[in-house]
Parts: sequence; structure tokens; C-alpha cells
Amino acid sequence: MQDIRLRAGTAAVLSLVAFTSIGGAAVVFVWWLAFSRPLQVLKKMRIVIPAIILIAFFGFVLEFTGGGGISYGLRMTVIILIGAWVYTGYRQGEFLMLWVWLLGKKTGFDLGMIAEMGMQSLDLLVSDFSRIRQAQELKGSCWGLHSLVPAGSVLIHGALRRADETAELMAIRGYTRGGSYCPKFETPVKDIIAGIAALCMGIIAFIPVSEFFILYH
Amino acid sequence: MEVPGMKVSLARVRAVRGDWSLSAESVFEEGIHLVSGDVGSGKSTLALMLAGLFPPASGTVERQGIASVMIAFQFPEFHVTGPDLERECKSWDVDPASILAAAGLAGRNTASPLDLSRGELKRLILACMLARDYDLLILDEPFSSLDCSEKERLCTALSGRKRGITIIFTHEQAYFPQVDRIWEIQGGVLHDRGRLPSALCRWNHAPAVIKNLIAKGKVPVNISQTDLLEAACRT
Repeated sequence: MQDIRLRAGTAAVLSLVAFTSIGGAAVVFVWWLAFSRPLQVLKKMRIVIPAIILIAFFGFVLEFTGGGGISYGLRMTVIILIGAWVYTGYRQGEFLMLWVWLLGKKTGFDLGMIAEMGMQSLDLLVSDFSRIRQAQELKGSCWGLHSLVPAGSVLIHGALRRADETAELMAIRGYTRGGSYCPKFETPVKDIIAGIAALCMGIIAFIPVSEFFILYH
Repeated sequence: MEVPGMKVSLARVRAVRGDWSLSAESVFEEGIHLVSGDVGSGKSTLALMLAGLFPPASGTVERQGIASVMIAFQFPEFHVTGPDLERECKSWDVDPASILAAAGLAGRNTASPLDLSRGELKRLILACMLARDYDLLILDEPFSSLDCSEKERLCTALSGRKRGITIIFTHEQAYFPQVDRIWEIQGGVLHDRGRLPSALCRWNHAPAVIKNLIAKGKVPVNISQTDLLEAACRT
């Protein structure tokens, strides 16, 4: 989906539908299979499978301790798949376009820039994580849960230092708030079809359709 | 025990990232190798491939007689696993007292590695690596973040490595250890410029000082500061 407005809106609607019920999650999963190029999403974002395994683990724990864990696990899995679809379709500058379109060149620009920086950091975190893992393996330490603490410290430290440097650089360059930016969007027909399908699911999930029609049993 | 016939062979290797690609057909034997190239030419990718951390799109990277491999990443933070300098040294299985003294960090055993400046951390990590005797040691931009005296100290330490394969990837223009062979990445291909000193005449990325010396007919024996000084003073 090329148009970030449609992609973000669709993702929001689908996430809500998926979270509402298992039925909703099942329908959203079908949408994901039909419109998101699932194999490409899974290939591009390999963290999806471990994330689903983690959610499944917590789902089982919840099922045996308080109940409702399987339902939670299934719904969250579908939400993760939708999130992965949004992330893999991301192109640099999209969130800036979206927020400027939504809230204008002051607040919208600031929020868009923050979102862009966040996405950039996420990419760097993923590549840094892979380097840390390689470095630890070469050092002879077996990668496991105990490795997450030092790896996390290095990642957080690096992210904070980068944020600090970026803030200083922006202040030096005279940034106060807002900026001039004219977003341009491309909306192919297939994006509109996928968006309408998601919207229909949202309508069916949240509006009591049966009350508008006389249903015969 | 000496491992005979250590070598890393690249057979019709090709690495691809989007529109960019790098081809290599070469053998790195025991000794110190210097690989130079412009920023973005693929030095880090090649370093990762040689370490076995990045699979080539085609071709094979084969390591023979090599029991231990280490790569020094450009950013030393990636190597940190210890919460303080003492335990960081121990995580490399080296003596903290001597390493901290060698890295100019004596007495700071309880400091966090992440509180050091990048230059200090780089000194520490390189000191730990050089204290170990890796068969294949790959250094990706080892001179970045180091000041001149530290660069010189690192060059002396590297020149002293008598066994194993050491491959240095750098675009450094002033400080070099004594090397056995020069390689160059140009136009997406890894070129073998040969052994020193004859390699110097074919080295396109040679620093200006070396090019000037060659132009004056004073070809240095090697590329360390001492060798360049000796060539410059030659009458």
C-alpha cells in the first residue's frame, strides 16, 4: 500500500477489529493474507516469528493462570502481523508526510519528525543488535537470555547518545519548531480496494448491522 | 602449536546490496594485509564476509587452518559485555591489570565501559584483542577515534604480530603498521596490489606522502612511519 494515509488508517481499523474478538482477528488475518504480500512481510521482518512465539508463551501462561490467554495470544498475533505489514511498507519521509497532512506544518511537522527519527532509530537498533550478537558470539559467549542485559545496555546507551547528538545538532542549526513541507501522495486503485475492505470489516465489527435489517431465521 | 597453512580463500565471491556490488577472487595468507578503499566501497562488507558473518550472494569464502577468528568492529561498543572494565577484560580472558595499563586506563577497574569516550573504549577493546592470539584477526577501521600517539602505538602492536592472518580495513592516510601485502577495492572489485615494496607503485589509494616519495624515486621499503621517514631522509 503506497499511500501512508490509507496504510495508517487501515492498520488502525484492522488492529481495533482484531483486538475486539477472535472472529475479528480471523477476518483481519484473511485480509492480511489477501492484501499484504505475507511472504515478503515475513522475509523482510524476521523478528515477527520470535515476537509471535513470545506472545504465544505469555498467552499460555495467562491461559493457565487467569484464563483468556489463547484468545489474547491469537488476537495479539494478528495485530503483530498488521504492525509488520505497516513497518515493511515504510518508506523514508512517510510519517512526516502523514503528520503534516493531519496537523499542519507546526505541530504536524514536529510529530512527523519525531516519528521519522523513531523509525530511523529502529532501523539502527536492528542493525546494532545484529552486530552485538555477532561480537558476543565471536567472543565465545553463548547467546541467550543472560546476553540481553549487556546488549540492552549498549543499545540504550547508543540510542540515547544518538538522540543527544541529534538534538544538539538541530539546536545548532537553529531549529525551534515546525517547518515547511508539502506532502504528496500516490493512491493506486488496489490500495483503495484494500482500504475499503478494511473499512467494511470495521463497520461490521463495531456497528450493530443486524439492527438495521430484518433478519429471518 | 603452530597451525600450518592458514589461509582465507575467496572464490568468485560477489556481495550485493541493492544496486551496489563487490566482487573478489583472492587468497589471504599468513601475514599482515592492508585493504584500502573509499568510504562506501564495501570494506566493512568484505570484512564481515571474511569473518563469516555475511554470506556472499554467490561464490565461496573458505578458511583453512584457522581455529580462532575475531573481527574488531568500527564501533567498539558492540564488543562490550562486562559491566565494568575489570570484568570486561575478564570476559576476553585476559589479565585486567596489564590490559588496563596498556590501554592507559590503570586504576579505573570499576568504571563502566560505556562511560569511557569512544577513543578510550577502542583502546581497551583493541588491547584485549591483541592480547589474544587469534589465527584470523580482522580490523575494520581500527584507527578511527584514536589520536596520533595511540595510532602509532597500535601500529607498533600490529607490526609485532608474528603469526596468523591480520587484515586491516582502513582509509587511514598517515599511520600504518608494517604490512606484507596491499589490497584495494576499486570499481566494486577487490584488487591485489601485491607484496611490498613493489605494491606501492600500483596502490591508487596511496597517501600523498607515499606518492611524492615514489615520484622522487625514493620508494619506501614499507609504509610504517619509520619506513617513510627512512625513505624521505634517503639521499
